[in-house]
Amino acid sequence: MIYGDRNLGVIVQNITGRQGRFHTELMNAYARETGWRGIVAGVAPGKAGMEVDGVPVYNTVKEALAEHDATASVIFVPAPAAGDAIMEAAYAGIELAVVITELIPVHDTMKAIAYAKLHDCAVIGPNCPGLLSPGECKLGIMPAHLATRGEVGVVSRSGTLTYEVVDELSRAGIGQSTVVGIGGDPVIGQTFVDVLARFEEDAHTKAVVLIGEVGGNLEEEGARSTELPVVAYIAGVSAPPEKRMGHAGAIIEGGEGDARSKVRRLSEMGVPVAARPSEIPELIREVL
Amino acid sequence: MKLLEYEAKRVFSDYGIPVPQGFVIREPGEIAAHLSEFGDAVVLKAQVDVGGRGKAGGVLVVDSTSAVDRARELFSREIRGVPVREILVEERLEIEHEYYLSIAVDRSSKQPVVLFGETGGVEIERAAKEDGSAIRRAVVSPLLREVPAFLMRELLGSAPRDIAPVINSLYRVFQERDAMLAEINPLVTTPDGVYAADAKLIIDDNALGRQGIEVNRDLSEREREAGRHGFSYVELDGTIGVIGNGAGLTMSTIDLIDYYRGRAANFLDVGGGADRERVMHAVRLVAGLPSVKVILVNLLGGITRCDEVAHGIIAADVGVPVIVRMAGTNEEEGRRLLAEHGYRMVDSMEAAVRAALEAGE
Repeated sequence: MIYGDRNLGVIVQNITGRQGRFHTELMNAYARETGWRGIVAGVAPGKAGMEVDGVPVYNTVKEALAEHDATASVIFVPAPAAGDAIMEAAYAGIELAVVITELIPVHDTMKAIAYAKLHDCAVIGPNCPGLLSPGECKLGIMPAHLATRGEVGVVSRSGTLTYEVVDELSRAGIGQSTVVGIGGDPVIGQTFVDVLARFEEDAHTKAVVLIGEVGGNLEEEGARSTELPVVAYIAGVSAPPEKRMGHAGAIIEGGEGDARSKVRRLSEMGVPVAARPSEIPELIREVL
Repeated sequence: MKLLEYEAKRVFSDYGIPVPQGFVIREPGEIAAHLSEFGDAVVLKAQVDVGGRGKAGGVLVVDSTSAVDRARELFSREIRGVPVREILVEERLEIEHEYYLSIAVDRSSKQPVVLFGETGGVEIERAAKEDGSAIRRAVVSPLLREVPAFLMRELLGSAPRDIAPVINSLYRVFQERDAMLAEINPLVTTPDGVYAADAKLIIDDNALGRQGIEVNRDLSEREREAGRHGFSYVELDGTIGVIGNGAGLTMSTIDLIDYYRGRAANFLDVGGGADRERVMHAVRLVAGLPSVKVILVNLLGGITRCDEVAHGIIAADVGVPVIVRMAGTNEEEGRRLLAEHGYRMVDSMEAAVRAALEAGE
């Protein structure tokens, strides 16, 4: 598993919101199942002294960390304040921030990720389902019941499509080491390259399923960066061409950014690309 | 959301970037009042959001005496299918050299990237492809408020130093106006100094609110309607209506339809929390497309309540068959409810797509 195991102490920012509260309960239920420490504290400005699902709430991340041993945070803070919440976590000493919030302005994301890097804090997301290491820990909103423990890493830009693939793998008897949803926004913290580097260092991961989407070239960069066997699936091959971002988009990204040319480039690198999610288990068996 | 050229130029000008003297007209006659401020020739630029506008005849250099007639002519035309409603009338610049300048969001480095080319103009993309060094690039930390001098020297090379303040001003525009892209192509030198001869500005859709923009003009009326319900929605040209949760899964569903030689009528991502009300609106919206013969609902998630979804589909009560694939809580109750009302629930995405193709024949 990567990013953490049963010993990982985790806080939730905006634990008193509807989503934060609901998923704190689900994460703690998972903790009871696996023996993971679970959510040790919550943060919500002005709500210190409250409890959510038995978890004590603090006004700031700094105050929470003064009382509890935690190195990761799951962030459910609404978009306008989410960038600030990431920076607060990084400044207070959080090493891993998992940002579930969607619709964050991209300039806020860029600033927060750059600031977090200065404080050695890795950011997963934003606009992501988080990560799940079956039998160990779950940071975010992934449905845990679809996953089974095993040796295949899954890294994906999608949310629900990841659940589909995890379900296909589990039904085929192929377990997962860690499933990471890196988020669908144009700018995200941990990219395929970063997650694959962690998988490569993980003794439990023997192969990786990479789930990409139309746009950008992060999938190709990721596949090129690793020695691990990789199987890819790219969503959006039948999508009409993306709205072009003037000349700069084409110049920066070199390629056309559409899914078909992405599939072609991955195939040219020798990466097996599944045409349908249901083909993934078979392709994984071939590379294991 | 894309701004029109004249809107972008107003923003650039507010930040101290020199732009040609000009004004916007909506009727040919409006030119006359201003012509005395210009020389013998003026430039008429159709304010349409299309690529290759110049080549398509959307930019005309005209004699001042015939400006009204030529503007009338331009108003009566369509530029690549887009009617001309506004024309930007500008002074003609005495151009010595054209450069390329843009600032964009670089996904790979997660930072702003400044692109500068010693030759600008319409062929810039081809030039960049043929010669990798035609465009110089510098990533700038989003934590900085201006481009550091050493990067500026690298970017400019032998280009005139008075371009540097323009780059810094554009960088401020990029940051403060929540831009995804700020582009000046060409940036021109003239005997009077540097000018932004053209301007492009795309604002981050997630920041429209704080930029004081209420309506996203890039969306169609139906897309806006879908947006009010919290859906992402795109119309396609097939016969199978598609409703999913999550962009990836919805796209993948459409790809699978394509794989089996079918065609999707639309893309509709209901977003998080597919409750009764939202599902009902989604099903009705898609059923409202005249081309739709069958609707495929594919919802997957730990917290999707299948009984709620079933109630939504039943309440929508549409005239076309609805095939449902869903996984989540209360699955059995959902299946029972759907069966009771004559709807089909299947267990896998593959089975759902095949069932939809059969039902749509």
